[in-house]
Amino acid sequence: MNGEGALGLGVAQAGVSERALAREQVEDQVKTMAGVPEARLADFFGSIEDGQLVIRLLYGLDRSQEYVMLTWPARGTGYPPLSDVAPAAFVEECEIFEQFGVSPGGGKTLNRLVIPPHADHDFPRLGEAPARDRPPPHAPHHVSGEAFEFPFGPVRAVAQESLYIGLVTSGEEVIDLYLLQWHKHRGIERRLQERLPDEALFIVERAEGLSAVANSWAFCRAVETVADARPPPAVERSRAVALELERCYNHAAAIAALCQATGLSVGQAQAEIALEKLLRLNAAAFGHRYLFGVLAPGGVRTAPDGAVLESGLGPVLDELREVVESLWSTNSFVDRLESCGVVTPDEAARLGLVGPVARASGQSIDTRRDHPFGPFAELELDVPVRSTGDVMARMSVMVDEIEESRRMVTELTAAGLGAGVADLPRVPGCALGWCESPRGESLAWVRLDAEGRLRRARIRPASARNWRAFDDAARSRNVFTDIPIIEASFWLTVAGLAR
Amino acid sequence: MSESPTLPTSPPANLRLLDDERDERAAARRLREAAVAIFGRSLHIRTIDTGSCAVCESEIRLLAAPHYDLHRLGLFFTPSPRHADVLLVTGPAVRAFDPALMKTYHAMPEPKLVVAVGACPLGGVYGEDELVHGRLENVLPVDVFIPGCPPSPLALLHGLLVAVGRLAEKAGELSFIEGTNDSRGTTTSGAMPEDRR
Ligand code: SF4
Repeated sequence: MNGEGALGLGVAQAGVSERALAREQVEDQVKTMAGVPEARLADFFGSIEDGQLVIRLLYGLDRSQEYVMLTWPARGTGYPPLSDVAPAAFVEECEIFEQFGVSPGGGKTLNRLVIPPHADHDFPRLGEAPARDRPPPHAPHHVSGEAFEFPFGPVRAVAQESLYIGLVTSGEEVIDLYLLQWHKHRGIERRLQERLPDEALFIVERAEGLSAVANSWAFCRAVETVADARPPPAVERSRAVALELERCYNHAAAIAALCQATGLSVGQAQAEIALEKLLRLNAAAFGHRYLFGVLAPGGVRTAPDGAVLESGLGPVLDELREVVESLWSTNSFVDRLESCGVVTPDEAARLGLVGPVARASGQSIDTRRDHPFGPFAELELDVPVRSTGDVMARMSVMVDEIEESRRMVTELTAAGLGAGVADLPRVPGCALGWCESPRGESLAWVRLDAEGRLRRARIRPASARNWRAFDDAARSRNVFTDIPIIEASFWLTVAGLAR
Repeated sequence: MSESPTLPTSPPANLRLLDDERDERAAARRLREAAVAIFGRSLHIRTIDTGSCAVCESEIRLLAAPHYDLHRLGLFFTPSPRHADVLLVTGPAVRAFDPALMKTYHAMPEPKLVVAVGACPLGGVYGEDELVHGRLENVLPVDVFIPGCPPSPLALLHGLLVAVGRLAEKAGELSFIEGTNDSRGTTTSGAMPEDRR
């Protein structure tokens, strides 16, 4: 529990340094971090520890293979307005206010996230509600001049998740856009408190079902770090196979959704055939179409049959590649994707984006390579990067990643897959876990008490980070009909955002 | 509607859910016959998400994909609740979503059906508390539950077959019987799956 990390901080666990700050040091330290070019603001959250609200600010130092966590007690005046220095912190400032009633200094106006407008003081939260005499300073949305707001949602197109999109427009062009996600807030993090990790996993998987493996692997790693137990390599390889299968089916689904959004029903049908086959392969390999119940703290429940993987995955991905090749030669498709929904490399860095959305905007980050875990420490990973930041770039990143996943499944299978769940000792402690979901870096931070129960579990799926770039992408010279295309290329979930 | 159609109100005993081609076709055929008989090949479905994990949506989208192709059965998705016969509900009924759920439900014409998709609206994932109703039945009359987490597209088709039968009953009640409809929910397989897979 001691030693020195890259920035001269105490090492909390392998790959994570931690530094406890006094409230007065926070601003300077954040300014210092803002000057470190490789420091990416990864997460920012509150946790009640021994009756005290402690703020935790996490940076990913991706080139140094390290995470840095700054912590300080939020006594009295809260904390300095960090988003002035680090814009990537804004959404979490709003979250900490809603959940713990502590706002940043400077009287900044915050946005509404998951507490509905009609909620009263007793609405369930992680901590205390904002003081009764203080009306919540939620930002009103001003629409003026030629513009008007086109309300879209929360009930949207068929089989799409509920989300309110406030489209500010003058007719066709998107001037501004904002999201309201409180319709889907299920209080996931609150539900995890007081639970044993084994029981908690059921809920962790359902925070965002389309990243069930990645989110639960991050969670399991955090719990296993506290228990100081790592599953044997063959078991970790089975987890990695599940993770790559998850990536394949999600990217196939994103390609199908892109075809749907551009009105290409033949391409959509072909991609959906591949998607259905991938889901059936998941079921054949691990017993569940969406890979629920595969991981457990301490191991993995099923080892897939190498022959099933070998005979199943290759042909489907070949099929999918053919679909993609025909799409690339369909002008009406490519035209809709190019220069659509641009996120500039600057914005991607400023907002701390992750996953294919970040990689399509010039950010070469991937936790499998930058913070290697499990079998990824031994595997060579080619991280595809594009610089145009448009829908086209995001799709081509996904297409390349499918090929990487295919290669990795082959290598992992060849190295041997195992199953088994070890009993973890119930010990107190805190730890961070991470994983690369199909949508990007997924994080989990846990604090366990002496009985091994969760005092606090922070679950941060990639969706929770990447939605914040959606308005920027939608605004960049786009019209209404581009929005479904941009949404498909981000391939995020509202479930993961609202939790 | 002058005659009460003779249709199954629950799936026939021999209609079992297997991933087997033959059964898939049998289920499809029955569904087609039932839908054609009552709704002249146009049963319209509106989906609504009350707090799902996004996976049930994924399975519902696949109903329209080539493997399942709902349209050949005369079933269609509609974006407008005013054209919908069936409300296909996912999620544990988040309380904050109630106004949108109610507006959608009340916008649908009679006879209408509510089909609850997955373990969430059965109360199997979250349970009733201050944030969610847990069971969808606490807020809407549910006609058919389709258990599973998620129910596979084939299970969804099976549930829709049951729903078509229930809709036939409701239509009959509308034409001939005055008064309230106190029909109870039907479950496609009786109980929650013990295994959440
Ligand atoms: S029933 Fe299961 S799969 Fe469906 S939304 Fe709920 S948790 Fe997700």
